[in-house]
Amino acid sequence: MHRRHKHLTIFLFLLPALVLFVGILVWPIIASVHHSMFEYRSFTEPGNFVGLQNYKDLFNSQYDFGKAVINALILAALSVFIQLPLALGLALMLGNGIKGERFYLSVYFTPVLISAVVIGMLWEKIYNPIYGLVTKTFEWLNMADKLPPAGLLGDPKTALLAVFIPTIWQYVGYHMLLMYAGIKGVSPELREAAMLDGATRGQVNRYVVIPTIKPIIKVSIIFAITGSLKSYDLIKVFAKDAYNCSYKVPSLLLVRYAFHNAGGIASAIAVIMIIMCFFFAILINWMFKERDLYGKK
Amino acid sequence: MKMKRLVSTLLAGVMVLSLVACGSGNTAPASTDTSAADTATTDTAATTDTAATTDTAATDEAPADTAEVEAPASDEPVTLTMWCIATEGDSNRHAYEAAIAEMEEKYPNITLEWEAIENEAYKTKIIAAMASGEGLPDIFFTWSCAFLGDFVNQGRVYCLDDVLAKYSDELPESMLGNTTYDGKHYGVPTTMNIVALFANMDLLAQAGWDKVPENYDELIKCCDDLVAAGIIPFGCAGGETWCVTEYLEPIIEKSIGADALNDIFLGRASYDNPDVAKAVDTFQEMIDKGYFDPAGASLPNDDVKANFMAGRTAFYQNGTWNCADFANDAEFLPKVKVTEFPVIDSSKSKLGQLIGGPSDTLAVTASSPNAEVAAEYAAELGKLICHYGYLDGCGLPAWIPYGDTSSINPLTQTVSEICANADSYVLFGDTAMSAVDKDPYLDAVAKVYGKELDGAGFISELAGAIR
Repeated sequence: MHRRHKHLTIFLFLLPALVLFVGILVWPIIASVHHSMFEYRSFTEPGNFVGLQNYKDLFNSQYDFGKAVINALILAALSVFIQLPLALGLALMLGNGIKGERFYLSVYFTPVLISAVVIGMLWEKIYNPIYGLVTKTFEWLNMADKLPPAGLLGDPKTALLAVFIPTIWQYVGYHMLLMYAGIKGVSPELREAAMLDGATRGQVNRYVVIPTIKPIIKVSIIFAITGSLKSYDLIKVFAKDAYNCSYKVPSLLLVRYAFHNAGGIASAIAVIMIIMCFFFAILINWMFKERDLYGKK
Repeated sequence: MKMKRLVSTLLAGVMVLSLVACGSGNTAPASTDTSAADTATTDTAATTDTAATTDTAATDEAPADTAEVEAPASDEPVTLTMWCIATEGDSNRHAYEAAIAEMEEKYPNITLEWEAIENEAYKTKIIAAMASGEGLPDIFFTWSCAFLGDFVNQGRVYCLDDVLAKYSDELPESMLGNTTYDGKHYGVPTTMNIVALFANMDLLAQAGWDKVPENYDELIKCCDDLVAAGIIPFGCAGGETWCVTEYLEPIIEKSIGADALNDIFLGRASYDNPDVAKAVDTFQEMIDKGYFDPAGASLPNDDVKANFMAGRTAFYQNGTWNCADFANDAEFLPKVKVTEFPVIDSSKSKLGQLIGGPSDTLAVTASSPNAEVAAEYAAELGKLICHYGYLDGCGLPAWIPYGDTSSINPLTQTVSEICANADSYVLFGDTAMSAVDKDPYLDAVAKVYGKELDGAGFISELAGAIR
């Protein structure tokens, strides 16, 4: 009786969290999978059951979904190979205790605090082909002819990079802060021991600090990749109506179709995004798993 | 142990990805980005058949005595509710306020409780309310064609045949085409707008032109002269694709004719039409010749319009709702003239075939307990909104204008003359078509402007994408 009472108490304590977890996290995923197999052309009516047709349709040129996925993957790659190394470099620099450490920390973190809409508007002005900072700088350097006449955002060849630069820039400070916190947690004894053995500052970073903060780097990579795959706000500011852009990403299309009587297609996009995020999260977890003595994970 | 690890990994994954899933449950309302004339549409393929090419209408002749028409007369006090989009910042706000004030004076027994909701939020709200059928107002603002058609299909809209019959002298039948479904009238149009070509005559003068080009050859010659003089002919906001359609649709219409374009927009004909491809190529030739400001490729419409007003481009083709803004700039007004885009292929099209038409509409809900009174009230109110909106320069009158209209700005007056000589109207493509078809259409238009698709690619992509 007592035991049963105890189980009931545990269950009751867990119930609110369980309800929230299932209602807010698990149920929407299940609902998305369900919706993705129906037409959902009107607000309330699921319409006909179409099975996997929405998934097949997505890869027609009409939806531009393939291009959007490639763009998201490019953004993810840029995040991992440019944003995170930058963040790590800054974190190592600040973590070593330079003068004005707190000041620089605040400066680098500021973009994270600014609304994506504000950043978007700001960079839109920077890129403006008539009066933007970039345009004026190139004019001042007598290199105006090196810029595309449509501006960096207007030319399909440069637009993708032009949009991704602020996207990446915005979150450098975020990852830097994560890594900085990890670096500050590295035991001074470890550093000192390495220094006594004759290690240079670079070697200490390479062989002591970075391996110690590996779990944080792993989390940063997962955040960077999943964040890239579902990036929306900043890109939406640049994309405006999201038709004329060479930098479409899946979430732009998801929102568009969800509100344009194509709920089935929107849900299919959501499910693919979920699968992609799952895949990368699991892949990165596997890659960062410690190897055993025999080199096996 | 393995199981535990697997479960914890899955749960961690679910938590990380929760945001993705939260955005996925949307099966929701049709809602789109718009400008004043770029209205949202929903899928009503069957009902939009009548939303067709309409014959010429609004003129400034034949003033009518508004007091003559039978009023929503009944002495019993009635309270009506209305939803609309005339928020404080909306250009039609004054017209609504003036019209409602006049209605209150005329019909003291009727109290109107009206609520103005921002454009985008309004679409979501009205669609959701119509879907559930609960909490609906008596009178509501709507866009014509597919948007209203969806509600008519749901049986939520009160038929206005009896009421509008009383106004046949003031409201031409041709203005009702976009709100007529299966031969029945469901909306009271207020104002209408068309696409027109605005010209900065100061810049044209610098290229040796003292008049607006009158035909297509002259337009091309004028553009060549402008380019030679170092002036950019056209400004077009590539950042907002509806602005590109303001160029492309008139070019297609003046190449293949209004009827042919209308059939395509309403799904009665396929895009697979070589004349459409040729028209698209004509548009791209103009881009290739440097007629379009390259800086416009990523700019929003406000910037492009400001560039035109600042003298960066000589022409600006857009909706006639811009007349009010141009007229309000005392310095700019004397420089600007308005005309219609010239005919490209005179064997298929002619002057007077216009893009645009009546779209802003008032309608009455079928579930209204006072539907009959509301219908009569909506008709009267619609007429007054039209009147005051026209005086303010917010659009052209769907109703035959009355009273003193001499204070109307010269641009709107010119547009009135264009409409008085109109042969037919084709409603803006993204308003005429269903929301599902609108996306591939605007995508393809954007690709045409970005030179990713040529004429053949445009028709082939749309013939495949649009049912």
